[in-house]
Amino acid sequence: MSSITLSTASGSTSAAPGRLRLGATSLRGLSCTLLGAAGGLSTWAASGWNGWALAGGGVLVAAGFVFDRQRAAHDRRQRDATATFVRENENLGRDLLPVWGGHIESSRQQMETAISELSARFGGIVDRLDQAMKASTVATEANEGADQGLVAVFDRSTRELNAVLESLRAAMESNGAMHQEVQNLGRFVAELQQMAAEVANIASQTNLLAINAAIEAAHAGETGRGFSVLAQEVRKLSAMSGETGRRMTDKVNLVGEAIANARRSAEASATREAASITNCENSINTVLSGFHGVTDALVESADVLKRESVGIQAEICEALVQLQFQDRVSQVMTHVRQNMDQLPAELTAGREAFERDGQLRPVDTAALLEALKKTYAMAEEHTTHGGGSVKAPAEEEITFF
Amino acid sequence: MAKSILIVDDSASVRQVVSISLRNAGYEVTEGCDGKDALSKLKGQKVHLIISDVNMPNMDGISFVKAVKQMAAYKFTPIVMLTTESQESKKKEGQEAGAKAWIVKPFKPDQLLGVVQKLVLP
Repeated sequence: MSSITLSTASGSTSAAPGRLRLGATSLRGLSCTLLGAAGGLSTWAASGWNGWALAGGGVLVAAGFVFDRQRAAHDRRQRDATATFVRENENLGRDLLPVWGGHIESSRQQMETAISELSARFGGIVDRLDQAMKASTVATEANEGADQGLVAVFDRSTRELNAVLESLRAAMESNGAMHQEVQNLGRFVAELQQMAAEVANIASQTNLLAINAAIEAAHAGETGRGFSVLAQEVRKLSAMSGETGRRMTDKVNLVGEAIANARRSAEASATREAASITNCENSINTVLSGFHGVTDALVESADVLKRESVGIQAEICEALVQLQFQDRVSQVMTHVRQNMDQLPAELTAGREAFERDGQLRPVDTAALLEALKKTYAMAEEHTTHGGGSVKAPAEEEITFF
Repeated sequence: MAKSILIVDDSASVRQVVSISLRNAGYEVTEGCDGKDALSKLKGQKVHLIISDVNMPNMDGISFVKAVKQMAAYKFTPIVMLTTESQESKKKEGQEAGAKAWIVKPFKPDQLLGVVQKLVLP
């Protein structure tokens, strides 16, 4: 290390080299006085020890003495100024640098706190988006096994309502079969009417035969008496058969009329049921269609929400990646502050060296730079140290061991 | 049951970023602000993976990894170094201490997750 030596008042208390310097300084402080004395002495001798020459020599000695005093005063002022300079440099390290360091540390901490809170808030947003997406998925899900989602409810409702419609259609078809049976009964009634008419006709024919038999019995006289009684009984039976045939016709007509009424009622009922089922089907389809529209809109809305949420989450993740700059900046600021913290000790050592042996010791910049370099963790710190421009950090680097 | 991961970093914001990335992927996360703090967090709980910074106060990451490898319960627990350090000499120190992977910050959450999923057995 280079050093500059100055004369100091404290030199009198220092070791041998200091005393040597003091002796040299004392001689230099009286150099002009001695020079004046030598000049005066030589002048006096050259004048043959003349009195005037002696006076002139005295003047020279006095002038030399005065000059030496002035130079000594100048040296003292210069030394005091240097000491003040050295002390002020130390004050810079003792008073100013801690303030600078304090500001850097305060800024670093504030930045860290703010970025940390910002990260936490971003994290909260990501969590809430995640919850919203999950809730939306549950509300609209249509996957197999789901029983609470909107689409699942819609599907289940559609199935149940279609089952109701199927039941109604089955009931209507059953009524149609019954109607067919009633129509078949109508055909039986016609047959019965025909049969009753035939019975009446047979009775009429039998009566006619009985009358003829009675006439023939009368012609036979006494021998035909028994046959006449028989013919009379046959007439009675044919009359009764005819009466039964009429009653049968009347009853069959009544039954036919009742069946016709039942058929008309069944037809009217079937028409009403068909209309009712059609109305039900239309109503159900209208309701389901409206519900389907709402469901589709909600599902679409949920899909949009999901897509947007995923996009926002990706944006936030990217923002969080960018927020990592804080860690890098914080490290750089810490390294600089730690290096600054070493400067006051350097300046104090310089002041102590000056006070001890009059040496002005410059700050060891190279050592400080080297110490700073040793703290670097990032490639861009080395780049900046070498005077290069700051570049964006490289893409993430992953190494597996 | 969710796997548990310990994050060790003196930067709260980095801890937040790592924590968010891992929690979203279904992991449970514990945080430590330096090596010493993290060692205390390891006591009394099971951790399946450790992610640690290198430059930290009180106890640096390399010393922390060495200390973890001395603990019987965590001798085989994978450790990932997540740091701004990219010097090969530092990486070698990490490898010799027992780390399984070295990620240089800044990192992307999906790539961190890729490393974690590779090292944490399902």
